Amino acid sequence: MLNYILRRLFGMVPVLLVITIIAFLFVHLTPGDPIRIMYGAEIDQATYQEMRERAGFNDPLVVQYGRYMANMLKGDFGISYRTRVNVSDEILRRFGYTFVLTVLAMFWAIVIGVGVGILSATRRNSLADRSSMIATITALSIPEFWFGLMIMQLFAVQLGWFPTSGSGSWQHLILPSITLGLGVAATIVRFTRSSVLEVLREDYVRTARAKGQKESVVIWRHVLRNALIPVVTMSGLQFGFLIGGAVVVEQVFAWPGLGSYLIDSILGRDYPVIQALILLFSLQFLVINLLVDISYAFLNPQIRYE
Amino acid sequence: MFTTRKMGKASAALLAALSLGTGAAFAQQAVVVIEAEPTSMDPHNTTDSVSATVQGPMFEGLLRFDDSMSIVPVLATGYSYSDDATAITFELQQGVTFHDGAYFNAEVVKMNLDFVRDADNGLARRSFFRFIEDVIVEDDYTVTITSESPNSAMASYMAHTSAAMKSPRVIERKMADPDFNADREGAVGTGPFQFVEWRDGVQTVVEAFDGYWNADNGANVERIVFRPVQEASTRINMLQAGEAHLVFPIPTLFGAQLESDDRVNLRTGPTTDVHYIGMNLQLDKYQDVKVRQALNFAIDKDGLIAQMLDGYGTIADSAIAPNVYGYAAQEIYDYDMGEARALLAEAGYAEGFTATLWTRNSTEFIAVAEYVAIQLGELGIEVTVEAYESGTLFDMLDAGEGTDLFIGRWSPGTGEADYGLRPNFASDRVPPNFNNSGFYVNEAVDDLLNRALASSDAQEALSLYAEVQEVIYDEAPWVFLHIPESIVGSAPNLDGVYVLPSGNVHVSGISLN
Repeated sequence: MLNYILRRLFGMVPVLLVITIIAFLFVHLTPGDPIRIMYGAEIDQATYQEMRERAGFNDPLVVQYGRYMANMLKGDFGISYRTRVNVSDEILRRFGYTFVLTVLAMFWAIVIGVGVGILSATRRNSLADRSSMIATITALSIPEFWFGLMIMQLFAVQLGWFPTSGSGSWQHLILPSITLGLGVAATIVRFTRSSVLEVLREDYVRTARAKGQKESVVIWRHVLRNALIPVVTMSGLQFGFLIGGAVVVEQVFAWPGLGSYLIDSILGRDYPVIQALILLFSLQFLVINLLVDISYAFLNPQIRYE
Repeated sequence: MFTTRKMGKASAALLAALSLGTGAAFAQQAVVVIEAEPTSMDPHNTTDSVSATVQGPMFEGLLRFDDSMSIVPVLATGYSYSDDATAITFELQQGVTFHDGAYFNAEVVKMNLDFVRDADNGLARRSFFRFIEDVIVEDDYTVTITSESPNSAMASYMAHTSAAMKSPRVIERKMADPDFNADREGAVGTGPFQFVEWRDGVQTVVEAFDGYWNADNGANVERIVFRPVQEASTRINMLQAGEAHLVFPIPTLFGAQLESDDRVNLRTGPTTDVHYIGMNLQLDKYQDVKVRQALNFAIDKDGLIAQMLDGYGTIADSAIAPNVYGYAAQEIYDYDMGEARALLAEAGYAEGFTATLWTRNSTEFIAVAEYVAIQLGELGIEVTVEAYESGTLFDMLDAGEGTDLFIGRWSPGTGEADYGLRPNFASDRVPPNFNNSGFYVNEAVDDLLNRALASSDAQEALSLYAEVQEVIYDEAPWVFLHIPESIVGSAPNLDGVYVLPSGNVHVSGISLN
């Protein structure tokens, strides 16, 4: 197992290297540059050219890439062009915000999603099942943007239970995490339902029932253990997406996480920040995929890695 | 990749994100919601109005603009021009200290202006101060600025927010250590508020400065908190929920809806942004003034303002806006398709022609461009709209190749006519210089602009500016469109704030009743 993990970790290095090149080309070949966007028409051509020269934008791309990599290997991701903050410090700070938001959103999503999913599957075609299916379709179809503004209007502006937006207390987390978790919860409900229904048809479930075991034991011990594997994969992937920063939700609720940071940086062509974020998101995906694979072994001892 | 020290920071951030809010109930704290993150705390390295607004309470210059764009003294007690308008002498306020305890005097003025003008320091506002030839310290509290050529706009330049005075200690520190991050750590001025913190995406906080020199203009609240919130609907919700005292900008779309909301006070005011369609006068089709006037007659400006700006705007009746010093109203090209067709026919283009209109790729610009394209289509001018990212568009215009029609917006930061007209219409500002992207060349205009700038007689300058605006409006190198209004929302108990036509919001005097 350990051997397997080490091999996987080692395999990430060339992948990440290729990603630095792609990220670098992506930001440098996109039209527009940070100096023009930041200072607009208020600086003249001469000042603009001096600033480009000073920032090293006039060097060949290969030279710029080499400089970037050399600094990165020293742990220096540079200074943001847009707000002049140290990029790695700022990303770490914002990662905290995104992480908290994501974990809470996933918590809502898994608790609601798995719970409702099992309920739906075990009471197939009942009223509860039908309404939960309608609810999930609705939840999946509602734009996050609209839903966020609606619950903000209701719970913050009208009822005053929670702050509208921003950060600083646990109350600030509630509305954005629910908005973020909504779509994931709906996906998990549908996944859990179909997965449980599939397993319920298996022979070993019939055997367990034939043995006269209580239905709750059958569901918990025999059905769920097997049915949850695809749900875990899917949740892991969803977590991977969310941890990259929930762009829309963070924007609507002014949550200072990585998603809003990415958008601001792309709009401002803040090269060092975009590059660092792309690298971080890629790394996160690789790590989460690894964790998901490892978790299979715990859920189903038949799966072994060598 | 990350050291353990940094991991410590990350877990601290985690805790901060989780911890209970403290200080939320601070009685005398004004919350100002802004649309974007500031980019710097250094007024000499900033060109955006968000940063200027946030820096405002901390910094002062020799002069400033009041709410009617008149120049009023701040760190200067008065100023006078030399007879030939090549020098301006300031008498300075005595007994002023910076937030770090440094004293303000004529040496500090010289130090600031010399530092920002020095190309080696790489500050964004260097070109703004290019008119300065020398800064001469006459005595401790008298300083003279000289320019190479006569310049009666020097006072306006010195009233601009970027002519703020930084602490000499910050400048010395930057000179000693080029790696010192003055953009984030150099916020030391003489204003009524001093810097507390700037956390990206969260807030920038300033608090009342005890040692402020001017008792008449001191802080009325303990702290001002600036929060960046990009989503306009969220900004408005914050105001309605009582979480914010001042919110801007408010999109025109929400204007009518909020006007009837008693939780919100709306303030509207004209900006100094003139929106226009530029034409490349090097092209044959735009060489006849009749064609250019026809285009002006063919656009229904009232319709544009009603449909695109929800009524929050006025027709541009000159190349500069009414709030700009030296402005003179001209007779508007009233929407008249008959007149437009007749003029076009007289110029030999009765069948129309094809044109390409370059626009920035933001929604508001594209909407206006499409509107103009449709209206010119009725005149037989087939317009293709091409949208570009703004930096790319600037580069294309500065390159001066392939320009046909282009949509533009100009606002003179100095609030006076010279900066409003010269960059757009002087013959030495054609590409690659900036910003006469339409290659408008008229010696009479150059002459009038130069004479107005050289005049130390205000009345004479004003009449010269009026004359040049008449020439430009008649010659119509632009299709003159509109001047939008800015909308600011505030809590009913807020006072002491004004919106400068340049888009900066002056919040130093903010008070809550």
